Amino acid sequence: MKKSPLALLLTFGVLQTSMSAFAATAPLDLVTPVSDYKIYVTENVDTLAADTQKFTDAIKKGDLATAKKLFPTTRLSYESIEPIAELFSDLDASIDSREDDHENGVKAEDFTGFHRLEYALFSQNTTKDQGVFADKLLADVKELQSRIAGITFPPEKVVGGAAALMEEVAATKLSGEEDRYSHTDLYDFQGNVDGSKKIVDLFKPQLEQSDKAFVAKVEKNFATVDKILAKYKTKDGGYETYDKVKEQDRKALAGPVNTLAEDLSQMRGKLGLN
Amino acid sequence: MNSTANGLPPKKAKPSRALQFAVAGSVILMIAAGAMFYFASQAAQKKRIANSGNETVVTINAKNCEPNAITVPAGKNAFRIVNASDRAVEWEILDGVLVVEERENIVPGLSQIINANLQPGDYAITCGLLSNPRGTLHVTPTAESDAAAKARPSMVAFIGPLSEYRVYLSTQSSALIRATNDLQQAIDSGDLAQAQKAYAPARAAYQRIAPAAQRLSELDNAINARADYYEKREQDAAFGGFHRIEFGLFSQKSVDGLTPVVQKLQTDIASLKQQLLAQSIAPEQLASMVVRNMRSIAEVRNNGEEERYSHLDVNGFAANLEGTRKVIELLRPLLAKSSGDVLKKIDTASTALDDQLLMLKTADGFKPYDQVSTEQRKQIADKAKALADALDGIDPALGLSGL
Repeated sequence: MKKSPLALLLTFGVLQTSMSAFAATAPLDLVTPVSDYKIYVTENVDTLAADTQKFTDAIKKGDLATAKKLFPTTRLSYESIEPIAELFSDLDASIDSREDDHENGVKAEDFTGFHRLEYALFSQNTTKDQGVFADKLLADVKELQSRIAGITFPPEKVVGGAAALMEEVAATKLSGEEDRYSHTDLYDFQGNVDGSKKIVDLFKPQLEQSDKAFVAKVEKNFATVDKILAKYKTKDGGYETYDKVKEQDRKALAGPVNTLAEDLSQMRGKLGLN
Repeated sequence: MNSTANGLPPKKAKPSRALQFAVAGSVILMIAAGAMFYFASQAAQKKRIANSGNETVVTINAKNCEPNAITVPAGKNAFRIVNASDRAVEWEILDGVLVVEERENIVPGLSQIINANLQPGDYAITCGLLSNPRGTLHVTPTAESDAAAKARPSMVAFIGPLSEYRVYLSTQSSALIRATNDLQQAIDSGDLAQAQKAYAPARAAYQRIAPAAQRLSELDNAINARADYYEKREQDAAFGGFHRIEFGLFSQKSVDGLTPVVQKLQTDIASLKQQLLAQSIAPEQLASMVVRNMRSIAEVRNNGEEERYSHLDVNGFAANLEGTRKVIELLRPLLAKSSGDVLKKIDTASTALDDQLLMLKTADGFKPYDQVSTEQRKQIADKAKALADALDGIDPALGLSGL
């Protein structure tokens, strides 16, 4: 058989994989979970776009109370799809950067997006002059929506996303630095955990083929995290502010969150995608 | 032939000597011509066999096929399908509910060759009219097929494109469901003009995913079969789906009796979405599906048989091209790496077909096909064929042929 360079490349790929991975997941078995993940991300970014429309409408109407109420729920869907949203670094910066990502902090001209609006709504307690940031956020979210539709999801990013989300929780949520003005970190926390768990659920059949104990351990840790988060759920379906989270619960969360981040980083290898 | 095998005239007749010589001479000529034809066809057959492995002859009769149970070795096989029935019919190889290879519109009295590269296993055959009994095809493994199965290249590079195509099937079949709901509402409210208007977008939505939908033989027949595939044609009680609705709306110019037909269509389209998402597509099928779709424009549908009552054929061709271009876009990164020349040919051919169809664009759709000239129809056929030929380069370029 005449082989194209790609075919040769693929053949070498086989040799390499067979040496590095003992788990024999057939690559084409990953098509269904990867595409189901894209459908999940597409639904979430659609929700994000619809929610952002309402959130920015409230700001432009000068309705401070509604804008404050919509801020954490609007972010939830963004946080659940971060592994993909982060692939577009320009948009990630303009939608989700913190003041300390900018040399001039809150005064920086390119400090835009959710946290710029959070600063105005919760720290300065106003919607005044925020129309321009509201318009920019909505435009960026719509751009994100169209870029997600156009990109072929790299399978290793999808699978790697499960660990990336839990690393994000470990790095920025446990400390409460993400939503420093509104203290609505627990919404983001839930968004990250949901997004990570979704990836594990989608690849569960393939993971169980190679390592049942791994899946059981991961699910147990997710259950622990969910149980602690549930303690802080409010009657309206939202969450308490992060300053209400007791020190012992912060510590209790740290264990399973870090273990999950570590365990989930093995998923790529287990699925033959290293 | 009137004469006996040794070239002598029948005993009863007493023709003149000159005539006897003439007859003998012409018989000798006929034998010589026959011999030449025999050797030529033997040579051609040898060449075909060399090209395509084994050849099996199948005859389609009015109510069945002969033989109806076939066994062949794995690998390249040719099937010569002889249509001895009195109407244009199709012949398909099915793997479960999926079409592996098919030939539509085989003209009565003629034969067509289907080349199939078959994996070992048991297949079913659809043969002629949809009411005819199905045949069986048993494919036995060979040393080559066992070796090929082992040598299959790693498929990691294809996870991305195949996943995206599955997402495309999901979103496009949702669009098809919505468009069919619009059609149903117009029919239910008795609004003929609105129903005629809703037919075109529903067809376009179907045609975008037709390359994948047509792998689902039985379901696709329920959705898309022409009247010719039913014994009593338009009058056949089993005739349903889009073309039954098209017949009502554009030929009979009435919504009468279409409510149960469109309801059945909605059910079938809901299960189409479900089945499209449940069936996995092998990497080599991505290209071969759209090749088949383009060839069916080039060889059959350019004659306007598909939308014969509404003449909305170009609307469908344009949607077929959209679906084909989706596959090209998904494979573009892989082709760009190793086979830029193949990609260039594909892009040139798809632009040419697109330009051809755009010439027929009108303010609210495309020119009705009964107003498209013979020359323009030929241009469409030629350009669809050129695109199919260019797309045929994909599988060899990606190391996917002969698997």
